[in-house]
Amino acid sequence: MAQIDLTLAPAGKKKSKKRSLWADAWLRLRKNKSAVAGMIMLATILIVIYSSPLYLDYDNDVIKPDLTQTLQFPAEGKLLGTDELGRDVLARILWGGRISIGIGVLAMMLSSIIGCTLGAISGYYGGKTDGIIMRSLDVFMAIPSLLLMITLVSIMKPTITNLIIALAIGSVPSVSRMVRAQVLYIKGQEFVEAIRAQGASDFRIIVMHILPNAISPLISQFVMEIAGLILAISGLSFIGLGVQPPDPEWGAMLSSGREHIRDVWHVTAFPGIALVLTVVALTLVGDGLRDALDPRMKR
Amino acid sequence: MQKKLLEIKDLTIKFHTDDGVVEAVNKVSLTVHEGETLGIVGETGAGKTTTALGIMGLVDCPPGRIEGGKIMLNDQDILQLDEDEFRKLRGKEISMIFQDPMTALNPVFTVVDQIAEVIANHQQLGEKEAEQKAIEMLELVRIPAERAYEYPHQFSGGMKQRVVIAIALACNPRLLIADEPTTALDVTIQAQVLELMKDLKTRSKTSMMLITHDLGVVSEICDQVAIMYAGEIVESGSLEDIFENPLHPYTNGLFGSIPDIDKEVEFLSPIEGLVPDPSDLPKGCKFHPRCKYAQHLCSVEEPAFQEYSPGHYAKCFVYEGKLPAKEVKKYE
Amino acid sequence: MGRYILKRLAQMIPIVIGVSIIVFLLLSLSPGDPAKMILGLNAKEQELQMMREQLGLNDPIPVQYFNYMKKVVVGDFGTSYSTKQSVIEMIGVRLPPTLILAFGSLFTILIVAIPLGIALAVKQNSPFDNIMRVVSLFFAAMPGFWSGILMIILFSVHLGWLPANGFDTPSAMIMPIICSSIAGWAVNSRITRASMLDVIRQDYIRTARAKGLKESIVIRKHALKNALLPTITSVGMAVGGCFGGSVIMEMLFGINGMGKMMIDALRQKDIPTIMAGVIITSVIIAVANLLTDLAYSFVDPRIRSMYARRKQRKEVAGHGAN
Repeated sequence: MAQIDLTLAPAGKKKSKKRSLWADAWLRLRKNKSAVAGMIMLATILIVIYSSPLYLDYDNDVIKPDLTQTLQFPAEGKLLGTDELGRDVLARILWGGRISIGIGVLAMMLSSIIGCTLGAISGYYGGKTDGIIMRSLDVFMAIPSLLLMITLVSIMKPTITNLIIALAIGSVPSVSRMVRAQVLYIKGQEFVEAIRAQGASDFRIIVMHILPNAISPLISQFVMEIAGLILAISGLSFIGLGVQPPDPEWGAMLSSGREHIRDVWHVTAFPGIALVLTVVALTLVGDGLRDALDPRMKR
Repeated sequence: MQKKLLEIKDLTIKFHTDDGVVEAVNKVSLTVHEGETLGIVGETGAGKTTTALGIMGLVDCPPGRIEGGKIMLNDQDILQLDEDEFRKLRGKEISMIFQDPMTALNPVFTVVDQIAEVIANHQQLGEKEAEQKAIEMLELVRIPAERAYEYPHQFSGGMKQRVVIAIALACNPRLLIADEPTTALDVTIQAQVLELMKDLKTRSKTSMMLITHDLGVVSEICDQVAIMYAGEIVESGSLEDIFENPLHPYTNGLFGSIPDIDKEVEFLSPIEGLVPDPSDLPKGCKFHPRCKYAQHLCSVEEPAFQEYSPGHYAKCFVYEGKLPAKEVKKYE
Repeated sequence: MGRYILKRLAQMIPIVIGVSIIVFLLLSLSPGDPAKMILGLNAKEQELQMMREQLGLNDPIPVQYFNYMKKVVVGDFGTSYSTKQSVIEMIGVRLPPTLILAFGSLFTILIVAIPLGIALAVKQNSPFDNIMRVVSLFFAAMPGFWSGILMIILFSVHLGWLPANGFDTPSAMIMPIICSSIAGWAVNSRITRASMLDVIRQDYIRTARAKGLKESIVIRKHALKNALLPTITSVGMAVGGCFGGSVIMEMLFGINGMGKMMIDALRQKDIPTIMAGVIITSVIIAVANLLTDLAYSFVDPRIRSMYARRKQRKEVAGHGAN
């Protein structure tokens, strides 16, 4: 049999197809039409929103009330109309996006740092350590994450920092679980055994070998989790526990527009559309990343 | 001569995928007589399973499509039947044993349910009677009746395959297609399962089409053998023809790749190269890139399927006299 | 099986205790004086001191917690600081709307998402499938409070068909239940579709077809039962989401449920009410998770026998009680 293998090996002509995991993933991502659509949407949203300080002035354009112009329908100059205090809805949506997306991304970063640490320790060491970490996380999982976030924010006072912390704590349990499952899977593979046999330290094995392998399928989850967090921020703001006035935030704008739905629709419609488009873009990108990055999903 | 039960003529099956058209089965012609066992031998990817699924009418469509040919079962072209009529043949006239018993049974139903289902489907029987017959079938494949109400995950691989065999034989089909029925099993279990199949086949006078890449299994139970390569039959004949006097260079290569305990050889002589990519098949003779005897002609023209001696066919220019009369070296 | 359920119920206890400790700790450490909340801003220091003594707020936090839990165990959740009502009575009034809202939307998720997912899988890549893929993408991205506002604008303000407030009549329940389940329809129909497509490719489906069964039976009997497993998991997880989401729905539609009660209590640092709300919610979710697992084992015999084997192993090891 060994003989056969020897003769077959040089005949393998598919050497040219050898690409790195990431290059391979990028290629697959580019082929995926809906992922490309998502990336274009997301890039457009991010560019438009994050360039807004270049042409918007916070004090004059975003928060300054103009009581002569309240609840104007969309018209020239005010493309999406004005809100109940006469502020330009478009300007507030753009500025509010910076806040929503910014908080979402920062909270996700914080929760993925905590989640990766807990998940990696839990999955790698197993046994009692695993038991203690997972049981404590079970306690947090036992409360619906939105209710947990609401409780945390209302206890801590709703500043932006506290919001980020509360959102991160709310999403840590699920992130840790995902990381732990991945770490368990990778830990069981033989290459880890091989590295351990070479005498690498636990820390080195986890940081250099397990996490990089564990993370690629998780990246898509993280992207989708950002979408979930952005929805959560809006939800919190909607019930008055999130971003505080006069700062614009999509959920907060919806909430204040709600009192005027009998007269005007644009104040509630447009911030919602912005929210939905952002979440859709993130979902498409996340879906595409999952198909491109998770080698087990390959068919 | 016995009566022809199944006759396949020029069957062509293609898969239309994103990466191009895959010619999985190309103008395959086969005959199975009543009571006879035909072995189809070939490497993985030669199109054996696709041919079998074609006969069952179970080629995944899309992307697969039967593009031409006839499949005559008792002189009736079953490719002309509509889906409902074809459905009534499956499991009753033709049935199939699949390669991997671990996944061939539905995990959420008891084994007796899964056998009774095919009986109830084809015979006008009540639930109780079908169940009774299913238990008889289980006993026939030597599984004790008290295990009938267990689920597949409680069975070993060999037992699962016996359940699959029981399902396939439950309605006394005329043709049984067995797709590598023993490859997924342990060697010791393989022999048991083969023995069982042989036994049941003789008892019920079923014809069989056995798909395998194991020449040892072929010599055990087959009467006729067809060698398949890259979607085509390259040689066919009786068991003796193929084993005593293999013609095609590929057949010889296959025999050269198996160790023989009686002969002292320094090296096995495997076939060089790899099975060609089915979406990018070579021109001319499909085997020429790997063939020791290939000449220029082989890469341009396709050889015909010629009768060499009565009932023994091969597809090679050597036997058409178109190549310099160089004898294909026998495998010893 | 019965043993397994008992074991799972027993496992809930430490979790609920953990939840109560964390929330109690957070509430006790956060600023704000409950005595001031009760007596108002004009209360004299002496009165405040008496009230704190009466509420046990001067004890060390572990003692406070222990005293609180001693009462909870016998079903006494105390008296609300803000409404002065018995908390258990408040919950008796507030829980039903929330339960109807949460389980009503769970129910609509099941009856909409599963048939839709199957239809989409069977008609894979048809125009219907492609359109629904885009629609469900947007539905899944729509926060309930926004779809709620849009529905109120359409059905209450313009058409006048449905009330925009309250939850006492069936017509008032329609919009809140639909709004809190729209995203669930989208997500779970996608999950059902994907798992259905995955199952259809399995070998045992080929076996079923090889038996000559009608395609409708292959799908309904052989594929569906296997394909439901991921959906069950996802719907089970949606229970928590429904409870969390009901807070916002109750605020939007002015429903006097648990969510609204919690928000009011949190604003006024009404510790007994908050504690009771969190504990009861976590118990309901734990029970829902247990039911999910039981549904799972009902469908999948492999899970069922895993429980049975676990029990056997325990008995062999000789310490069955756990």
